[in-house]
Amino acid sequence: MSWSHFIYFAFGSLTLWSAGVVSLYRAKSTTAGKILILAGILLFSVFIAGLWIAQGHPPLRTIGETRLWYSFFLIIVGFATYLHWGYKWLMGYSTLVSAVFIFVNLLKPEIHTTNLMPALRSVWFVPHVTVYILSYAMLGAATIASFVALKELRSTQRLMPLIDNLVYIGFGFLMMGMLMGAIWAKEAWGDYWSWDPKEVWAFITATAYLIYIHSRLRGYPLKYILWLLPVAFILLMITWIGVNYLPAAQGSIHVY
Amino acid sequence: MAGEGKRKRTTAIEEAVVATAVVTAGFALQFTLGSFDKAFLAFPVNIIALAALATLLFIKQGRLLTRLSSGSLSVILLTLVLFSTLYMGLVPGNKTKISWPFVLIYLMTLINITAVISVHLKSFSKRSIPFLLNHLGVLILLYAAGLGSADKSRYFMRVNEGEVEWRAEQSGFGAREGLTELPIAISLKNFEIEEYPPKLAIIERATGEALPKGRPLLFPAELNNFAQIEGWSIKVDTLKYLPRFAPSAYVLVTSQGTNDTLRGWVSCGNHFQRHKTLDINENLCVAMTFPEPKAYSSDVIVYTRSGKERGGIIMVNSPLTVGSWKIYQHSYDTQKGRDSQWSRFELVYDPWFIPALIGIIMMIAGAITLFWKGGAR
Ligand code: HEM
Repeated sequence: MSWSHFIYFAFGSLTLWSAGVVSLYRAKSTTAGKILILAGILLFSVFIAGLWIAQGHPPLRTIGETRLWYSFFLIIVGFATYLHWGYKWLMGYSTLVSAVFIFVNLLKPEIHTTNLMPALRSVWFVPHVTVYILSYAMLGAATIASFVALKELRSTQRLMPLIDNLVYIGFGFLMMGMLMGAIWAKEAWGDYWSWDPKEVWAFITATAYLIYIHSRLRGYPLKYILWLLPVAFILLMITWIGVNYLPAAQGSIHVY
Repeated sequence: MAGEGKRKRTTAIEEAVVATAVVTAGFALQFTLGSFDKAFLAFPVNIIALAALATLLFIKQGRLLTRLSSGSLSVILLTLVLFSTLYMGLVPGNKTKISWPFVLIYLMTLINITAVISVHLKSFSKRSIPFLLNHLGVLILLYAAGLGSADKSRYFMRVNEGEVEWRAEQSGFGAREGLTELPIAISLKNFEIEEYPPKLAIIERATGEALPKGRPLLFPAELNNFAQIEGWSIKVDTLKYLPRFAPSAYVLVTSQGTNDTLRGWVSCGNHFQRHKTLDINENLCVAMTFPEPKAYSSDVIVYTRSGKERGGIIMVNSPLTVGSWKIYQHSYDTQKGRDSQWSRFELVYDPWFIPALIGIIMMIAGAITLFWKGGAR
């Protein structure tokens, strides 16, 4: 098995996943959709296993190989979360982002030979990034819901269970991402936390969501605490893409 | 209901007053004494502080514990933490993390979490487990990362192949200068670099720019490998890469228009050989890039003063752990590349890493309970 076979597996899996998502939305029963998604996962695993065996080491050494794992884990974690919570849109989202990584792999063959710098070559790298991507999706959805909820404040609070759910799940992923990053940093750089600018901002973001979670437990008025979600999401966006442009971030190990 | 709301509000005001007082005291200390000296927290002070904090777990439920464990106090503290870290993230070169206000907020947070854990422990049931995983986890981690970090130290040690070294240079903030003898030694049996094959390219002699411009094509110099670049085809005919010598390739360059073939050696050179290019015409030549390291590793034996001995291979991302020490591959003599005669290690001593790891693992478990249970209740 080699990268030249990837296109068949990629399109096979993508077709199965997309058909699965459509079926989840359209069909009366979700069984067919689940089976299609599982079949896609199986097909994709065959390619990874084949590549692994052919190379004689886990495919974790090039940028293309990490993209491969992103596509795979996004679907797996998205699917597991869907199974537990029934959020169909999350399955759709996972498929979409996974497709983006698959297309990057197909359209930029040079990344199959671009080697990952040694420090990034770690089993923690892929789960670290994957759970972050999923956490952004959940917290982004919570932010949209918070705007709707702010509009409806006077009439109902029907969205609050959904919002709290999304925040807890998203925050759970966010914490996992951060903590796996910490373990990895200890293995790679000697310190699990060094207040690097990206780490500072990740900390700020997590704190903002913790304020939301604990304010909800206190039962503070919704018209104030719902505003925490858009604010926290802006902080999250700064952590994700804005940090590189901040003056305090020059010299960060996370700026690449 | 109305009465409850009122009671909550008044207590929140009390907590806000306490928090303001503490922060003000922090600023007063900052302006009179200057930054907080973290070395003060080093063993045994952090252990004594830990014991003092732990007494909160055993005191009886009463006014004190209710006050200290207040959820409104948590929200206030978290907000203060948010603002201090925002300052940290926005203002370049600040020293927030060793400023008195931040240190005092940190300590208050530790007290607050310990108190709320104490309350939950008094009515422990299976349902408290998610709460305890999150809060005991975060408490242990914050303790180890905060007060525990005063016991941490880092050193750089350069070891020559075949030698044993006890001395190292301290690194990081406020490091002592010169070499210090450590309670740990490294004997370097062998240092090894695995390299990717060097790459070949056609470059413009005047500018050094590789062709095709904008999308340069570099291909690995492997035996019989070939490439076609802007009307030239290049094939690797022979490869030589002996110890101490630079890699070199004998290449055939054929012009696709005229079918003329040119041949010759190309080498990227090294610390003792000059590089060599093959001229194609007055504008272009074939050149070789330096081989990039794929992985480098040191085969070592580590000895400690206390008589421990451990052998192993140290690589980037794969340190060797000996007691509270972790030894990382740092660098080597990059000028000599794979002929490097020495390896440089970073040694990190952190007796609080295991507690920190326990906290991290508890929090990962806690995060799983978060997305398993969700937030609606
Ligand atoms: C990873 C970090 C944290 C997570 C995931 C988290 C999550 C939670 C959750 C889910 C609860 C409700 C527990 C239940 O009722 O079963 C809670 C309660 C509480 N947490 Fe946290 N928390 C975290 C950090 C903190 C911190 C840093 C503080 C203190 C500053 C804190 C203080 C409290 C307090 C006082 C309560 C009691 C709730 C109340 O009565 O309002 N927590 N936390």
